[in-house]
Formats: sequence, C-alpha cells, structure tokens
Amino acid sequence: MKNLNLILAGVFFTLAASFGGLLLSGQVQLGQLNRAPAEEGGPLFPPKEPGLAIQGRQVYLSLGCVTCHTQQVRPAGQGNDIARGWAQRPSVARDYILQSQVLLGNRRLGPDLVNYGARVKSDDEVHAHLRTSMPGSVMPAYGFLYTQSKDGSFRPTEDAVALVAYLKSLKIDYSSPEAKQKQ
Amino acid sequence: MSQAYSSRGSVSRIDASISVPVRLFIFSSLVWLLVASVLGVIVALKLQVPSFMGECPWFTYGRIETLQRNAFIYGWASNALFALNLWIMSSLARFELKSSWLPVLGGAVWNLTLTYGLVQVLLGQLNGFALLEMPKEVAPALVVAFVFAALWPAVAFARRPTGNVFVSQWYIIGATFVFPVITVVAQLMLLWCPTLGVMQALVHSWFYQNLILLWLGGSALSAVYYFIAKESGRTISAYYLATVGFWTYFLFASWTGPATLLGSPIPVWVQSVGVIASLMMLVPIVITAVNFFGTLAPRNGIAQSWNNTTLRFVLVGAVSFTLAALLNVVSSTRSLNALVRFTEFAQAQEHLTVYSFVSMVIFGAAYYILPRLTGAFWPSAKLVYLHFWSCAAGSLLLVVTGLTQGWAAHGRTDFAVSAAPGLLAAVLLLVGHFAFALNALGMLTAENAPSNRRAY
Repeated sequence: MKNLNLILAGVFFTLAASFGGLLLSGQVQLGQLNRAPAEEGGPLFPPKEPGLAIQGRQVYLSLGCVTCHTQQVRPAGQGNDIARGWAQRPSVARDYILQSQVLLGNRRLGPDLVNYGARVKSDDEVHAHLRTSMPGSVMPAYGFLYTQSKDGSFRPTEDAVALVAYLKSLKIDYSSPEAKQKQ
Repeated sequence: MSQAYSSRGSVSRIDASISVPVRLFIFSSLVWLLVASVLGVIVALKLQVPSFMGECPWFTYGRIETLQRNAFIYGWASNALFALNLWIMSSLARFELKSSWLPVLGGAVWNLTLTYGLVQVLLGQLNGFALLEMPKEVAPALVVAFVFAALWPAVAFARRPTGNVFVSQWYIIGATFVFPVITVVAQLMLLWCPTLGVMQALVHSWFYQNLILLWLGGSALSAVYYFIAKESGRTISAYYLATVGFWTYFLFASWTGPATLLGSPIPVWVQSVGVIASLMMLVPIVITAVNFFGTLAPRNGIAQSWNNTTLRFVLVGAVSFTLAALLNVVSSTRSLNALVRFTEFAQAQEHLTVYSFVSMVIFGAAYYILPRLTGAFWPSAKLVYLHFWSCAAGSLLLVVTGLTQGWAAHGRTDFAVSAAPGLLAAVLLLVGHFAFALNALGMLTAENAPSNRRAY
C-alpha cells in the first residue's frame, strides 16, 4: 500500500468491476430491445412519438420539469404508484426505447407523468393546468407560455403547444409481453 | 473555540509553495458557496410561495434548483476539495510544488467552464440528469481542468522523500482518480452517444453514487482521518483496519447506484446487486467508525474535540458520515425504500452526506489550513461561533424536517410540503456561510497588509 501504481491499479479495478458488472451487463440485456407487439401479429409498441411531442420534450427539459415529476410507475409490490391511479400497469424497460433522453426522475413534488396522456381528457385541460396555479398545489402558473390577446383570451405559444403535445404523448395504456409478466 | 487564535506566525516552505493555487481554490469555493446559498434561499422560497419569480422562464423551480445543486457540488465542494487534497497531501508527503501555475490554470479553466455551463442552464440548455445538466460541451473542459487542478497530490505522493504512507493519502489518490473516469464514461454513455432507454438511468445512478460517495466522500474522509490524528495528537485506533476500510469503501460504493433505482424499470437482478452492495457498505462504515470514534472517545477526547474549532466541525462531519451511510443501508431495503424513495426523505439523506458530512469537514479543515497558509489570524472568533451554530442548526433542521416529512408523506395522494422549516434552514445556512466567508476573506486579504507581518 505504499506504491502509487498499486493504489491506482486497485481503484481502477474497483471502478472497472462495477462498470462491467452493472453497465456492460446491463447493456447486454437492455441494449438490443426493439418494439414488440402485445399479441402475436399485433401492432408494435411503444408507438412512435409525434414530431411535436419530440419538440415538446425539449421544452419539458428546458423548464426543468424533471426536478419535481417522475416518469415511472413501480410494480404493485414496490410502492403504491398503481393504487394511486397513475397507471394500470408498472412501466417496463421497453416503454422507453424510443426516447432520446429518459427522464425517470428521482423526486416527486407532483404526480408521476408516465401515463399522464391517458389520464387527461383534452388539450384544454392541460393548458389550463399550465396557465393557472391549482389550489393547494406547489406548481406555479407558467404564464410566460401564453400570450393574452386584446379580447382577454389566452393564446398558447409554440412552446406551450409542443409541451402539451409531449405531455399527451406520455402513455403506457398498451400492453407488452413483459408488462403482462410483471403484473 | 480557542483554536481560532492558535495559528502559527510563519508560513512553512511547503505551504508557501502551494499558497497561490490553494488560495485560488478557496477563494473560488467561497464565491460559489455564497452563490449556492442565495440560490438555496430562492429555492426554499419558491416552495413556500410558488409564484415567486414565476414571470420569466429563467427562474423556474427546475432551473434554479439545478443551478443551486451544480454550484454547490462543482463550485463549492469540488474547489474546496482541490485545496484540501493538495494541502493535506503536500503536508504529508513534504512536497514543494514547483510549477504552481499549472493548478492555477486548471482552477481558472474549471471555474470559467462552470460559469459558462451554469449560464447555459439559466438560459434553458439543460439535460435531465442530476449533476450532468450542463450542456455536453462543458464536460471535456471540466475533465481537462480537473486533471490540471487535482493531479498534484498524486505527483506529491509519487515523489515523497520517505516511504511512509498514511490512510489519508490513499483516499486522496482514489478520489482524484475516480472523478475524471466516471465523468468521461457518463458523458459518453448519456450525452455524446446515448445508450438505449433505461440504460441511461442505470448509467446515471452509477455516475451519481460514485461522484457523491467517492469523489466528494472519499476526499472528505481523507480529511477526517488527517485532522482527527493531527489535532487530537493520538494515533488512529485500530489503524490496521483502515486499509480494509479503504478498499471495501471504494469497492462497494461504486456498485450502490442501482440501489437508488428500486422499483424502476431496470432488470431486477441489477437492483438486487445494488442492494447487496449497499449492505456490504456496513463493513467500511463500521471500520471508519472504529477508526474515528475509537480514537476520539477514550480519555475525554470528545469534550476536548468540542473545544477545538477544527475538530468540532470534523466531528460533526464524521458523525454525519456514519449516520448518512447507515441511513443509506437501511433505506436500500426494498420495503422501506418503497415508502420513502421519491419523498423529501431521500433529499434529507443526500443533504446529510453532501452538507453535514462533506461541507462541515471542509469548514473544519479550512479553519486549520488558512492560518498556516497565510500566516494571519482568524479575524473574528464571534464569526466562527456564528458560523458553526448557524450551519449546525440549519442542517439539522433540514435533515430532521426532510426525514419526518418524507416519512409522513408516504402513501398520501397530495404533495403539500410544509416549506417554512426549509426556508428557515436555508436562511440559517446563508447566515453561517456569510460569517465564514467574511472571516476567510479577511484572512486571504490580510497577508498583503505589511503591518500584519510584524505582529509575530
């Protein structure tokens, strides 16, 4: 333990071991996931994201929404996410394969959003939530996403339209082979 | 608190040789500490009054919180640890730095890059991975700057005149090696050529745990070992275990990432490996506790430490380390984790590690190093007192309210957080940090006054 090279080699080994054991073997298992049908011959899931939703993810990232909102629903045995009605099934690795940045999140100051698109009824409902602050909520109004016209009505900016398209695209209301297994 | 005045009058040749870079690192860390503390108050205020500063996209909660976290970890803690690692290693290895412009260059590039990255975050260019939010062009510059700023302890160790070695030196070498490696790997696998789907979350958890536990934690542990032995004048109890503690700490900590992802859509076996690694962390936790408290506890040592400024901070840091590490073990059990994972409980755990442990140790070390580096006295003992109690009370308040609120919140369907204690804690920390910065800046500028030199 007096030799610099020995210490460096040891520390390198500890990092290399966890890199290989966690990241490389994780990559072997998860790196080749493709879209898959829920039933044989059925349509492939997850569905492709609309272009506007891809733009909306940039708005979501840029406003830092991930600080307070997660996008993952844990299985019924691990927390009460499903009991809270956030989704009908836990999220699985395949749900995320088309996303450029996976925003699982690690803190919930607001509800989980992985299935938000299936929970809301209309665009207007999402716009109303973004433009005004809900009573009792710590989420502020994002008024700068809207412009007010002379007759007093509010018009969403391009960012707001894209963000809403993104939020509405967040759905895990389809099934998949692993999701069935996990339930 | 008499130690505040017990500084030596002269500066040793070793300290003089590293004076310029260490001063630069400490000065930068102070600036970032104040920036982060002000941002911390804003973050706490926004939880209390959500509409506060809500008119402009620059100041969303997400961006300000991101700025605060990055300024604290990369600005305050990392700069301060550059200084600590260099000073402790030079002092242990009797190393005189010849080319001090190299670490100065590294420090300058580090801080300019960080400023650029944080301005980009403020303008809305941010990624979704905690502590990797800054745009991807920032990381290569940060890694190069890190090598220039932090390489010198390794050089000092390689060139030490005697074969002697102390446990602090291993921790410094290990921590210094970890940062560039994990940053390069994480940046490549997340931002430059992103991996597929949830692999990103796995890579990020690996990066994050290594950054907090090995770079910040490893460096701070080195300082705990050094100052406990140095200031108490005792040999580390059960020192033969320290080697085992060091290797098990590095080995197991780097596998604990997936334990922060329990229930996430990553393979269950990976999660289980993380849980096992977290449990194995009990080995280094017990060994460091025996080393630290076994040294200080006998012969009224705790009371003596309490009367010594440096040891008082370091002792709080060491206790926080043990508590935080034990909490990490406990909360990586699946049943408890299911309840607290996304709540303020987890935030409190992190605070206990990066603030109550790492930052308190840095404060304690600064009270020892700065007088020796500048040959000046701490200007005000009252400010030292204010600093300690403000920061101790603030961080205790943050940890206790976080843990209790997180525990109480599980299973509820609303997200009402009582933000008032958090705001009070943020203000207390800000006050404490101002007291510390005033004192330290007084010291960093004092040496230039010629009248001060004649005081000895």
